[in-house]
Amino acid sequence: MAATHADKVHVFKEDVTRALGDATLKLAIDRTTVTAERKRAAALVDFPEFAEARRRGTAIKNHVVANLDHYLEQFERNALASGAHIHWAKDADEACAIVIRLCRAAGARSVTRAKSMLGEEIGLPHALAEAGIERVETDLAEHIIQLAGETPSHIIWPALHKTREQVSELFKAAHRDPHKVEEVEAMVESARRELRDRFMNADVGISGANFLLADSGAVCTVTNEGNAELTTTPPRVHIVTAGIEKLVPSMAHAMAMLRLLVRSATGADLTQYTTFHTGPRRAGDRDGPEEFHIVLVDNGRSRMLADHGLREMLRCIRCGACMNHCVVYRQIGGHAYGATYPGPMGAVLTPALEGVEKAKDLPHACTLNGRCQEVCPVSIPLPTLLRGWRDRSWKEGLVPQAMRTGLGLWRFVAERPRLYRLGSAVAVRAMRLFRRGGWIASLPLAKSWTAYRDMPAPAGRTFMEQLRDRERQGGRQP
Amino acid sequence: MSTRETILDSVRAALGRRRPDPAAIAAEAAALLADPAAIRPALPVPDPVEAFALRVVSPKVGATLERIAALGALPAAVARYLDAHGLPHALALQPDPELRALDWAGYALRDTARPDEAAALGQALWGIAETGTLVFHSGADTAVLNHFLPLHHIAVLQAPRILPYLEDYAALSDPAPRNANLVTGASGTTDIEGSYVRGAHGPRFLHVVLVG
Ligand code: SF4
Repeated sequence: MAATHADKVHVFKEDVTRALGDATLKLAIDRTTVTAERKRAAALVDFPEFAEARRRGTAIKNHVVANLDHYLEQFERNALASGAHIHWAKDADEACAIVIRLCRAAGARSVTRAKSMLGEEIGLPHALAEAGIERVETDLAEHIIQLAGETPSHIIWPALHKTREQVSELFKAAHRDPHKVEEVEAMVESARRELRDRFMNADVGISGANFLLADSGAVCTVTNEGNAELTTTPPRVHIVTAGIEKLVPSMAHAMAMLRLLVRSATGADLTQYTTFHTGPRRAGDRDGPEEFHIVLVDNGRSRMLADHGLREMLRCIRCGACMNHCVVYRQIGGHAYGATYPGPMGAVLTPALEGVEKAKDLPHACTLNGRCQEVCPVSIPLPTLLRGWRDRSWKEGLVPQAMRTGLGLWRFVAERPRLYRLGSAVAVRAMRLFRRGGWIASLPLAKSWTAYRDMPAPAGRTFMEQLRDRERQGGRQP
Repeated sequence: MSTRETILDSVRAALGRRRPDPAAIAAEAAALLADPAAIRPALPVPDPVEAFALRVVSPKVGATLERIAALGALPAAVARYLDAHGLPHALALQPDPELRALDWAGYALRDTARPDEAAALGQALWGIAETGTLVFHSGADTAVLNHFLPLHHIAVLQAPRILPYLEDYAALSDPAPRNANLVTGASGTTDIEGSYVRGAHGPRFLHVVLVG
């Protein structure tokens, strides 16, 4: 179902070349990521407890991941007791089929959708279109890319690659009563007018979940626009699609995670609208959906859980900080990754979700400068995980076919420390060539690269090499 | 085997165990909440009411605030706000008995907000000083859409309902409503070139009237 993205992966190098030659794109990416980086830094100045909060957040997610079976069952029990319906989906196709079936049962002609990366991951927009159900994206950025017929290029700002001029053109072509002055305020107002009756007339509202609260069965959504509540309240049916890793034990744990998530994502302390949804409309309620469905989606997560390296990635709370701080992302933008999830987290997740064969270029779109891990609010060792994938594609010719299709990568490498060191060294040696071209030199882009960019050189030595050097200096044997 | 069983089985297999120990898990989860002061920003002033008042008008929240001594002064305070914005004395007024008991002479009132409502007034159940957040619970007296449809969202909050930190709200044992809406400012977006614009889909203005 995620066909559009999967098909794109093999053209990664062409996408990179195109992105590097696009001055408008570079400008658009900078406008948002530079602001995001600055705001996050300012938010942390006011939060000296961040380091400790990050350790705690990491521990909370580790605890959930280590007890995922328990929390899934507890969540299901409590959600059912609140009157919600629970559905389980093994993969993207199953998840989409469930949502389509629910929409059809509700006689839905039009559905509103509040941005959810899981929805993108499972290809829900495409599935709804195939089923002939009108989809109205309500997040402003998703609305923009829906009009443009594109896919998100960032997990927090899906339309970050669009300049205001481009947005203006899209709105003028599509809105019934478009803006008259070329100002961002007027454009936002135009979208507000355009989407008003769409919110009120939808038959089904679909949202994602930022957190699932095991002890109450509640679903937490966060937005700054208020579009989630406008999506989930008027329609008769509310459907939530959520990855099985979204669990937290309780609301108190969710609050601890929210402090990290929002600061890391936008630099605010809390989103404007943070809502806990528990079950369907109650007797006497003034508004709200009569039916509340939660689709719990695995789609590769239980396989990641079985892999000691990739298990760490299940902590990810989708804040986007790693891509805002990634020099490669900032050069090439999200679309060049050709996958639902771009940037460092995407380069780790995509091979896990779609197969390393389809995404083998992605882990190389990295300079190993370590910024992503530094800013990650749940301490995911992204560079290490990326190196893992590099080793994996490097050794592809050496290992049996069976090894390549599973996710036994970490065990395989861990049991072969020499292979690991060799693999890392080879990967970084390839990266060294980067200064003279490297993975990017095999592409005809030297000119477009230097036209708009100032690329820092990669660290140049593997962690293991550096460690050995340091130990030598300290007079100890490696 | 059902999909549910397939997923739970692969999770258990990945974790390499048969049966979780709920008591041990609960103890570990509780331990993760120990010493909350270490993982949250301290209030700028010790008094939660003053901290809330500071916070709600700070750029982080960006609301306007009027403090009144008693709830009886609310209709006049709301009139001042509407006048200042050149708005008629018309309101979607939450049918909260306490609010409805006030003297709204001269106002055109309705219970629920229309899609193009100019102003709605509701009583927040709780305030949270740490973030300047207003908490609304959906119910017979409270339509969720009243906080999201109007251009001007006016909220009244009584000072004794202000809690210091987010965890203090989480610790309340109130039965969970269908929707707990935590409102921290007006609707905003940075989706076009990262520039901040208010009134994306929800309210463009948040005005808080603090009683006491
Ligand atoms: S990997 Fe870390 S920084 Fe990147 S999106 Fe996930 S939580 Fe945020």
